[in-house]
Amino acid sequence: MATILTEAEAKALLTKVLSYSKADECEVNILGEERGNLRYARNEVSTSGSLTNQNLQVQSAFGKKVGVATIDEFDDASLEKVVRRAEELARLAPENPEHVGVLSPQQYLKSNGYVDATANITPDIRAEAVAKSLQLARDQKLTAAGFLQDNHGYRAMMNSKGLFAYYPSSNVNFSLTVRTDDGKGSGYVARGYNDFTKLDTVAATRIAIQKAQGSAEARAIEPGKYTVILEPTAAVVLLENIYFNLDARSADEGRSYFSKTGGKSRLGDKIVDERVTIYTDPTNAELPSSPWSGDGRPQEKTMWIEKGVVKNLTYSRYWAQKTGKKAVPNPTNVIMLGGNASLEEMIRTTQRGILVTKLWYIREVDPQTILLTGLTRDGTFYIEDGKIKYPVKNFRFNESPIIMLNNLESLGKPERVVSTETDQNYLVPPMKIREFTFTSLSDAV
Amino acid sequence: MKPFIFTRIQYTSGDWDTDQRMPSNILHSLVEYTTIPVDQKEKVVQLSSPDLFRSPFCYMSGHKLVEFSAQERDHFKRYVQNGGFVFVDDCNHDIDALFARSFEQEMARTFGPKALQKIPNNHPLYTCFFKFDEGPPTTSFELNGWGDDLVHDYLKAIMINGRIGVLYSNKDYGCEWDYDFRNKRFLAEDNTKFGVNIITYALTA
Repeated sequence: MATILTEAEAKALLTKVLSYSKADECEVNILGEERGNLRYARNEVSTSGSLTNQNLQVQSAFGKKVGVATIDEFDDASLEKVVRRAEELARLAPENPEHVGVLSPQQYLKSNGYVDATANITPDIRAEAVAKSLQLARDQKLTAAGFLQDNHGYRAMMNSKGLFAYYPSSNVNFSLTVRTDDGKGSGYVARGYNDFTKLDTVAATRIAIQKAQGSAEARAIEPGKYTVILEPTAAVVLLENIYFNLDARSADEGRSYFSKTGGKSRLGDKIVDERVTIYTDPTNAELPSSPWSGDGRPQEKTMWIEKGVVKNLTYSRYWAQKTGKKAVPNPTNVIMLGGNASLEEMIRTTQRGILVTKLWYIREVDPQTILLTGLTRDGTFYIEDGKIKYPVKNFRFNESPIIMLNNLESLGKPERVVSTETDQNYLVPPMKIREFTFTSLSDAV
Repeated sequence: MKPFIFTRIQYTSGDWDTDQRMPSNILHSLVEYTTIPVDQKEKVVQLSSPDLFRSPFCYMSGHKLVEFSAQERDHFKRYVQNGGFVFVDDCNHDIDALFARSFEQEMARTFGPKALQKIPNNHPLYTCFFKFDEGPPTTSFELNGWGDDLVHDYLKAIMINGRIGVLYSNKDYGCEWDYDFRNKRFLAEDNTKFGVNIITYALTA
């Protein structure tokens, strides 16, 4: 049997699995995927990897007693075995008071995140893409370390009420660090696409090279509050912490930034600058994502923050039922609207500031204010009178993405970026921010 | 009651024009927490100008050299001895940067070598409005990576007749409070509260 099933094949298999079920309710999830990667360091390829995986998960319920079992063998005996096992576990399980039954059939939007060019990548193609990058680094006597990884596959689900969902997708992520020979300069780039033909490893490598060469001989300047220009790669690792906090239950229970005193949430409050709009849209052509969430709920175009105001929070089906709200699922993609400023223009209009190309090692200091800490890295530059003057030593920062989005000066055009913390892809603009707090210096390059 | 004016001292050596958003942030806190009437605009006075003597509270900071001219030194001394209050804050974060060293020398020259003394962390300054049981609140700029990594766990002062005339901090509260006051609502704990204490002490002690 193929690893990656077509919609019809998946439907047939899941129908068969459900035919074995004797539980009150049954839900079956399946996934199949192929992954490949090429890793290089010190200008040489060090690892070439591939992975083929398929997995089937059965969830059986008797009333509010639920059991889950998984298997990766798909012959009839194995399929029946996994269903029986899930049922045995359900009978043994204590009641889950928060269990809600399976969904009836749903309507889903059309979204296309599966691209043949990505699915057809072979080790040779990976090697060729990496060779071009390596060549550029070697030619300039720089040291490159990078990772090219791609995957394609599908997920499907079916339940005993007749719901069926299927979504195939593909993705390629490329990341690269380039260092100068003496180790004093470092540059980074990351790119992610559904479509491999959009990945230009040469253009990406040139960016990392330029940052590596430009960041050697960094000078120390005093920590403090500076106007910063955050490239999307730097901005996204802070912004995604807002997205992680969108859960209504933790807001209602007083556990998150979106909580307010008296058991209220910030739904409907203006929390950031009016130019900030953040939403989910699975049909976005640049960032397509699954039109259904893991439990089968449809993904719709959903505003999280519109013109600075909190418009929606996510609700589990249990919490939605309990509070009488719509069960808005967690986002499968996140998009932030931008503005018209180019990066050059942002630099030109900065009297005194810092260009931040990457932030890393992000950790939470205070969940109630989403206060985060982390460091700049791989190229940080001082701007004076509208020009990049010199590279500066890296900083530790203490900043909340909420405060940051209140101190907005300008926004550029959104770009597809890869979070260096989670590997998630987002659409995020570069941004110019006032009063960004750098608290100390770092010796890291 | 005349409105409180946040007065900043301009001196000829070094730089004095720091932390530009800080005064309005502190004034906002005064309005929020106290009934002290305030003038919304920061006033800048030259240390050599007699205008200095009209302000009961002055702020002075910088990164660089502090070396008063003869007239500046005379004004500073007379202002403090006549009941004025100066809050001096080193805008560098490290413990013995140029401002700190030269300011302490300047105070020794002006008021005598032992005039500037540590004040205990149970000084009324820490309880005159909000309570700070452990002395001066720490700032995010401490443990600063410049190599000293020292937390300044006390403040220094020059006492005149049992009252602080010069309050000296090398904790860099100026930078800590240098943000748009509208962002205060996003902090778990408003970090400008100690600023309210300093001004309350200056006006009432």
